[in-house]
Amino acid sequence: MSQVSVSRRQATRTAPDESREARRRRRMSPSVFLVHGVLIFFVVMALGPILMTIMNSLKTQQGIFSGPFQLPTATTFSIDGYLRVTQLGDFGTLYFNSATVTIVTTGLTVGLATIAAFAIVEYKIKLAPVLSGFFIIGIMLPVRLGTVSLLQMMSSWNLVNTTLALILVYTGMSLPLGVALMVTYFRSVPQELKDAARIDGAGEVQTLSIVTPMVRPGLGAVAALTMLPIWNDLWFPLILAPGRSTQTVTLGVQQFMGQYDSDWPALLAALTLGTIPLILLFLIFSKQFIKGLSEGYGK
Amino acid sequence: MRTSNSIHNAATKYRYLMLFTLPALIFYVVFAVYPLFATFVISLFQTTNGDGSFIGLDNYVYLFTDPTQSGHFWHALLNNLEFFAIHLIVQLPIGLLLAALITSDAVRRLTGFYRTILFIPATLSVVIVGFIWRMIISPLWGIIGFPLLGTEATALPTLSLMSIWQWIGIPMIFLYTALIAIPKDILEAARVDGASGMRTFWAIKFPLITPQFGLITILTFIWTMNGFDLIYSLMGGAPGPNYSTDILGTFFFRTFFGFNNVVGDTDYGAAVATVIFLFILISTAGYFFVLQRRLKPHEL
Amino acid sequence: MKSRIAPVAITVAAVMMALAGCSGGSGDSGGGSDQVTLQFESWRPEDAAIWNSKIIPVFEKDNPGIKVQFAPTKATEYDAALKTRLQGGTAGDLITCRSGALNRENIEAGFIEPLKGFTGLSNFDDLSLSYWASTNGDPYCVPVASVMAAFFYNKDIFTELNLSVPKTNAEYMSVLQAIKSNGKYVPLAFGATPGDAWVLAYMGLYSEGPNYWHGEEGRQGLIDGSKKFTDPEFVQALAALKSWTPFMPDGRASVTYSDATQLFALGKAAIFPSGSWDISAVTGSTGLDVGVFAPPLPKAGDQLYVQSHPDMGIGINAASQHKKEAQVFLNWVASPAFQTIYANALPGFFGMGKEPAKLDNPLAQAWADLKVGAELTPRVEDILSGGNPDFETTIENSLQLMMTTDKSPEAVADETQKGLENWYKPQMK
Repeated sequence: MSQVSVSRRQATRTAPDESREARRRRRMSPSVFLVHGVLIFFVVMALGPILMTIMNSLKTQQGIFSGPFQLPTATTFSIDGYLRVTQLGDFGTLYFNSATVTIVTTGLTVGLATIAAFAIVEYKIKLAPVLSGFFIIGIMLPVRLGTVSLLQMMSSWNLVNTTLALILVYTGMSLPLGVALMVTYFRSVPQELKDAARIDGAGEVQTLSIVTPMVRPGLGAVAALTMLPIWNDLWFPLILAPGRSTQTVTLGVQQFMGQYDSDWPALLAALTLGTIPLILLFLIFSKQFIKGLSEGYGK
Repeated sequence: MRTSNSIHNAATKYRYLMLFTLPALIFYVVFAVYPLFATFVISLFQTTNGDGSFIGLDNYVYLFTDPTQSGHFWHALLNNLEFFAIHLIVQLPIGLLLAALITSDAVRRLTGFYRTILFIPATLSVVIVGFIWRMIISPLWGIIGFPLLGTEATALPTLSLMSIWQWIGIPMIFLYTALIAIPKDILEAARVDGASGMRTFWAIKFPLITPQFGLITILTFIWTMNGFDLIYSLMGGAPGPNYSTDILGTFFFRTFFGFNNVVGDTDYGAAVATVIFLFILISTAGYFFVLQRRLKPHEL
Repeated sequence: MKSRIAPVAITVAAVMMALAGCSGGSGDSGGGSDQVTLQFESWRPEDAAIWNSKIIPVFEKDNPGIKVQFAPTKATEYDAALKTRLQGGTAGDLITCRSGALNRENIEAGFIEPLKGFTGLSNFDDLSLSYWASTNGDPYCVPVASVMAAFFYNKDIFTELNLSVPKTNAEYMSVLQAIKSNGKYVPLAFGATPGDAWVLAYMGLYSEGPNYWHGEEGRQGLIDGSKKFTDPEFVQALAALKSWTPFMPDGRASVTYSDATQLFALGKAAIFPSGSWDISAVTGSTGLDVGVFAPPLPKAGDQLYVQSHPDMGIGINAASQHKKEAQVFLNWVASPAFQTIYANALPGFFGMGKEPAKLDNPLAQAWADLKVGAELTPRVEDILSGGNPDFETTIENSLQLMMTTDKSPEAVADETQKGLENWYKPQMK
């Protein structure tokens, strides 16, 4: 890029006539320290507990309770928890199940919500706001309350103990918020763009695919909001797919929670192992997520 | 200039609308709406020894007229409202503070870092959240001597704060996105006029993001009224010290599934579930209705 | 550049869905044409290792062609999950049965296979069988284990502080006082957090209480209405429990059962009122020398009553596809051979057969010896639990308040009695 545009970019970031000296003074002022100080406090509050979990997963049971806030010492350090977790052998399966369910549901939700939201925004007939409202009500629905009926449904279709059952339920559950969000993003797409495409002879589906890149941040937002509660959900895997081959990570971790007391080192190890992929998945999507909320966002 | 309104007639539009929304509708109706409707139907029955008999609205009458049951229900509702209120009172200011800080001039390249880190607790399972915080506030192993979760007055607020800790990223993000959507020229003008950071914030930024508060409020309401996981993970099925942590979700769970040696009642539990859902629906609809009426004069 | 995210996402999703539908598959009982795998529901995940390494292999060796898959669910979710699975038709072939009302509900709904005429039942007396029977008295589950409640104590601490094992309540109080005065150890590893309020009932009131209300005399009296919870013997039992509070850890309202176990296992507490199931938790890797003593008597020379509660039975899912094989397994479970293996693999869980099993674990034997000369009584629940307001939640809530606030034993007795009178017919006179 040329010199001119570089300096113009720089100019918008700082006040037009601030000298270098003034800028440096501002960067070192006490208010800067205060701001970062407060933020770092919250970062510690956010990360501290997670680090504590990891730290304690590397101790013996006695080590955990004799000093939960201390780093593992020579006497308390132990990877027995991790050994017991891997000995159960299933962790790969647990990961695969959680990943399958989460990723497929997210893909389905994003896809179907996009198509539906496009239509609701584009075809301005009376039915559209009715459909939109119908989906919005879904955000309030506590799906868990329909469990027995869902189980009977899955049972009669022979889908119990399949990851497919989970995918179907989670997709149904996530679509309301997905559609509602995508509707707001599609609203900000200029009508002229769609009309121009049609003038060029594009059919409806093609118009949709032309417009989709404009709402890409929205896709990221819906994806991130969908995947979080699914990965961590305990209830539906417990009821619909508790079999050994279909257990998810969240469910599998429960086997370390005994009736009277838990195998803490193994439990914490399993929790650590279970959380890391979600954090990673989330970090990948967070950029799109934030972009999505910041760009298309309007009510 | 041709607009989409003239390219398609109403019939075509109807066809396309249905076609495009049908897949989503099918999933939604079959796997979310229908099961809830089926639950409502269950609430009209009573099952003894495996045989169900139709009893109409008797389960609902029982819920509202039996002193013990209605006592528990209203108590759970009040607790849930307290739970919601604490969330709102704490989340909004802190979310606002965080959003303001990460968009301030003092934080340039680190905005993304802070933004992401502060959101991470939302990715954790309630088991981790419960374990860690219970450890921290344990009189035996932790740093707080006073038994917070076991004392009637402090149990629910403590649980609320834990929940807020986990989900603070969400109001923060909403407010953050609203803040960065403010047109830069307004802020430039303010700076040129010599306004300080604080003044700019309160006089210009704050009024422009107040519409977000409404959205955050309604979403917080729905999520806290449906709340269950964290409290269940920490208190088991128990309703807390003197029923002080019993909210609608835990009341429903105990009723539907039972607790320890107490047998659950599916039909009656279904009635409780329906009532809870209707309460949320009516409150939310009422909120939107009021919002509509208040906005109309402004929009003119 | 045209974005094809939506169509691509759907294609990928469709492919993965196809794959997902192939993996898993409904029901896990399968395997070869002549091999049957029985799914075994249980609420004790912590026993998985023992079942899989010590117990199931013995059965499978003698019964080639039948495999048993131990598939536990976390205890607090077991009842909800099991009921839902039974209703949905997806429960396992073998079901671990709770004793009492919960199980009776499943029996009456037709989910459990009746065991009338089952030969293995002759190994058990009628009383044991009655805990897993229908309202008509027909047996439905084979009794597997009963548990007891008493007081673990750290022998080294007792030696160090020159204490002897208390027999009466007065001795018990002075022992506690001595430990507290010494200051080095917490006298009682016992918490009063609401989430574990059941501990106050099961290992507190129902452990020391029977000595005051004379075991079955009191319990049956409540059941048939001849005794009231406000009668003096019950109030005395409550008062005795409340007198433990000065000796409980600081901040006891937030001390959980797990905390109490750890406190004792780390050697920081002297006495641990608990159940026989905790034998493995307090010995073994803890390196502690642990003994057990019976609930203290109100006065020297009184009759001793000890809680022995029927805990676990095993039954067959009425909808199982493999009832024949399941019955083979149950036959083995009813045999003395199984009882011996089980009681020794899981010390603290006592078999309920007519022939008592020989116990290798000395601490388990010490527990079993508590029964000598004592009258046994189960917990005060069963018929009484449930109702509106339900007995269990009411009394546990009141106990939690009694142990953490200044609520009096009389108030607890009043509340509990009023609650019963609201729904329990025999008490409504």
